[in-house]
Amino acid sequence: MKKSGFFNHLLEKNEIILFWVIAMELVLFQFLGRNFLTSGNVSNIFRHSAEIGLLALVMTPVILTGGIDLSVGSLMGLCAVVFGILVKVFGIDPLSAAMLTILTGAMGGGVNAALVAGLKMPPLIVTLGTFSLFRGLAEALTRGSESYSGFSEGFLALGNSDLAGIPAQVWIVVVVGMMIWLIVHRTTYGRSLRAIGYGEEGALYAGLPVRRNLSIAYIMAGAVAGLAAVILVSRLGEARANAGMGYELLAITAVVLGGVSIFGGSGHVTGTVLGWIALAILNNGLTRISDYEIFGEKISSVARELSGLLTGLLLIAALALTICMKTLAARRVAKQT
Amino acid sequence: MKTYSRELTVGVALLLLLAALAVFAPNFFDGQPLVSRLASQMPALVLAVGVALVIMTRQIDISIGSQFGMCAVIAGTAAASGMSMPMAMLCALLAGALMGVVNGWLVAGLGLPSIVVTLATLVTWQEVLRLWQKGRLLALPDGVQWFGTSQGTGQALVIGAAFLFLVLMAWAMKHLSIGRRIYATGSDTEAARLAGLAPKATTFGVFVLMGILAGVAAVLNLVQSPQIQPNSGEGLELKAIAAAVVGGVAITGGRGTLWGVLLGLMLLVNVNPALTHFHQPPYWEKAIQGLVILLAVAADGIRHKKQKRLK
Amino acid sequence: MKRFTLSIALVLFALVSCKKTEESGKLTVGFLLKSKGNQYFVTCEKGAQAAAKELDIDLRVDGPIQADPAKQNEIVENWITDGVDVMVVACENKDSISTALRKAKQAGIKVVTYDADAQPDARMYFANQATAQGIGEKLIDSAAELTGAEGEFAIITGTLTSANLNEWIDAIKARQLEKYPNMKFVGIRPCDDQKDKAQQEATNLLSANPDLKAIVAVCSPGVPGAAEAVKQAGKKGAVKVVGLGLPSENRAYVKEGVTQAVILWSPEDLGYLAVHAGVALAKDELVEKDAKTFTAGKLGELQVVGDSIILGKPIAFDKDNIDDYDF
Repeated sequence: MKKSGFFNHLLEKNEIILFWVIAMELVLFQFLGRNFLTSGNVSNIFRHSAEIGLLALVMTPVILTGGIDLSVGSLMGLCAVVFGILVKVFGIDPLSAAMLTILTGAMGGGVNAALVAGLKMPPLIVTLGTFSLFRGLAEALTRGSESYSGFSEGFLALGNSDLAGIPAQVWIVVVVGMMIWLIVHRTTYGRSLRAIGYGEEGALYAGLPVRRNLSIAYIMAGAVAGLAAVILVSRLGEARANAGMGYELLAITAVVLGGVSIFGGSGHVTGTVLGWIALAILNNGLTRISDYEIFGEKISSVARELSGLLTGLLLIAALALTICMKTLAARRVAKQT
Repeated sequence: MKTYSRELTVGVALLLLLAALAVFAPNFFDGQPLVSRLASQMPALVLAVGVALVIMTRQIDISIGSQFGMCAVIAGTAAASGMSMPMAMLCALLAGALMGVVNGWLVAGLGLPSIVVTLATLVTWQEVLRLWQKGRLLALPDGVQWFGTSQGTGQALVIGAAFLFLVLMAWAMKHLSIGRRIYATGSDTEAARLAGLAPKATTFGVFVLMGILAGVAAVLNLVQSPQIQPNSGEGLELKAIAAAVVGGVAITGGRGTLWGVLLGLMLLVNVNPALTHFHQPPYWEKAIQGLVILLAVAADGIRHKKQKRLK
Repeated sequence: MKRFTLSIALVLFALVSCKKTEESGKLTVGFLLKSKGNQYFVTCEKGAQAAAKELDIDLRVDGPIQADPAKQNEIVENWITDGVDVMVVACENKDSISTALRKAKQAGIKVVTYDADAQPDARMYFANQATAQGIGEKLIDSAAELTGAEGEFAIITGTLTSANLNEWIDAIKARQLEKYPNMKFVGIRPCDDQKDKAQQEATNLLSANPDLKAIVAVCSPGVPGAAEAVKQAGKKGAVKVVGLGLPSENRAYVKEGVTQAVILWSPEDLGYLAVHAGVALAKDELVEKDAKTFTAGKLGELQVVGDSIILGKPIAFDKDNIDDYDF
């Protein structure tokens, strides 16, 4: 009989594959690369991917319901601009401004929620619309060209300093991660998300508040996008309308790589975390290999292209492997009976 | 009439936009710029029709921008290496078909979710292209632009080809079995299978067709300028998908017409020239396009609700 | 077990398929591009590679795939922990890159900027091909010269959010208001660094503003894009096309007389100079602040003004001289 619990989740097949991938990456980059596993570089890996980690974490409940949110990257842009305006134009202190920014994000998520949960429209299309709308509003607010900089040292420390040897924003990711893990795996709300993902109709007949629960998932995504925007601004020291461009696809990639089914219903937050770490290491590690060449060029010089290429291949390989294992398992069961 | 309500709404919105342009910025309708504008949107039209077919089978293909870029560079390289124009075009179509086979095999053959598969192929082809071209503008030999004819003839050929294709596809969707197979696969895969319509083969075929259309679109784009840029396909997938959705193709499969797609595309791509002609700043473009998409979606949602209540 | 063997095989395959370059105890120099998919920076890199060969250093080239300030910061911070000795940086965004460059300076890394400057306190020298102001003024001056300093003009830019291009545009507008009151600015359109989009935007600009006299393109895909639009509109010569771009991408249009002036410096020399300056700083041959001149290999002695090393004036390419340049 299977035991339930955290450890059991770790033993899910997909997560084991990801452990292998991460281990392979570590070995490979440590042997081939320079200064890869140093405390400074490990800090960098997590510091630079914290925003994507946040988006991936909060995308997990959304995808569990069988939905998707393409608008989080654009919403980051809008929130970054709102934050910049609040601090630099209205002179609000960064902490209150951050709260208001997160609220703005939640409202942006609310737009998605109203259309997806309220009007029952397909999330792919709704968030494609808001993807364009939020970025457009960010550009319109800044007339495309304005930006905000010159934030206080204390605020910049959030994005650039360490707390107990770990980048400050990574603590936030850890806290958000634990919260999302608890919500998804330890509450009835989390179970209802998966129920909705398996079949909305069924969840409705089972008496679940489908509309409310769906809304919460999208509003949460919006709020965390606002938080990610604040962290990005504090890391860069500048708020600009192009913040977070393309981050939605990176976040979705991490979630799917983590074994969360894009059709909804199944998946684990631990998988998302592993998927995120695997991608973050891949992105950083390749830039450390400067002693080897590929196609006549230093690997570190083409690291960005290679890591994109490998991400694509990894994604297909992970999916194909899960499918193969499912078929094998089904065959085994069929043989036994 | 009821089934065409979306086409009607979008058509009216487009007419209103054009009427406003006619009143406030009649220059919009000057012959040459109008033709140039139309010709430059023809590749997007071909892609939008393709992706509409994909969406009708309840799949999605977000890799079409990368496929377009690959096909364009492959055809351009072929032409630059001295191949004749028809051969270069054939190269583009073949490359597109191959990329379509990859998507189709992964989606229909292995049963993987199309959004993830095409997300993966999107980044894969994009990076291959970057490693290969490094952002170089590729100069094309003389006979390529306008198929070696004059500008007017070339533009007429481009527009004519795209519209001919649209008419043929619209006819095929209505009168040939392929149309029924696509709609059936999208509305209910299991029912389609039981009815002997081979939904897997249909899905595979649609992805291959999408690849070939990416090649066609790339050729139609290639002939409009003496140079091509490897990043020319970036963002085209969103444009094409948005056009299909605004035009009334339901993402839940099984519904939509190609004429709607044409109207949707024309509405979306004319936002930008309209802003220029009304002398408005460009930073409203994305917000307006987003609103158009959301309005179209909301209209669908409200109609659904009403229908449910009537039942 | 099978999976284990497979993994090992994959690792081995990866190890074998890579070729090791010679071991280096050399000076390492990080060379940061604004974006990789851009012929201009590919050419800068060529110059940097030439300098690296001459000076026998280990050159690391990196840059975001598309112009992205967040990614640039990430690369700089990764180089700090990688322990490079020198950073040579083209800045997409003055304010945000400076946050990271200051950290590099604190870590004892020599920082030189090229192409586009950071905040002065975040770097030691700027390899100056032209200031933002200089570029903007040169562009509007040549547009004014071609149009007789009157009539409407429009600008095509890369993306609206590009900090660097916006500086140039501000300089253009300021100069026009000050020196050419008879010229009228009618609008700015972004081409998202896509030539096809630039062509569409220019087509729209031409039909929306029938009296347009000049299009100024401040990003390199914008110049051929605008030229093709003017050519298709049959307004060759009537509407002047001026812009920043590579001679190789514009040769045909300049010869046909569609594009009147393309302005640029030699990107190869710029990359070469910037790497030379960085290495000289690391070898203490060049000291922060005090230098009056600097000798950069084959470029000879160059003037230093304040903390900028002056590469020389931008070149204006036209019908007569465009064939003399091969980049």
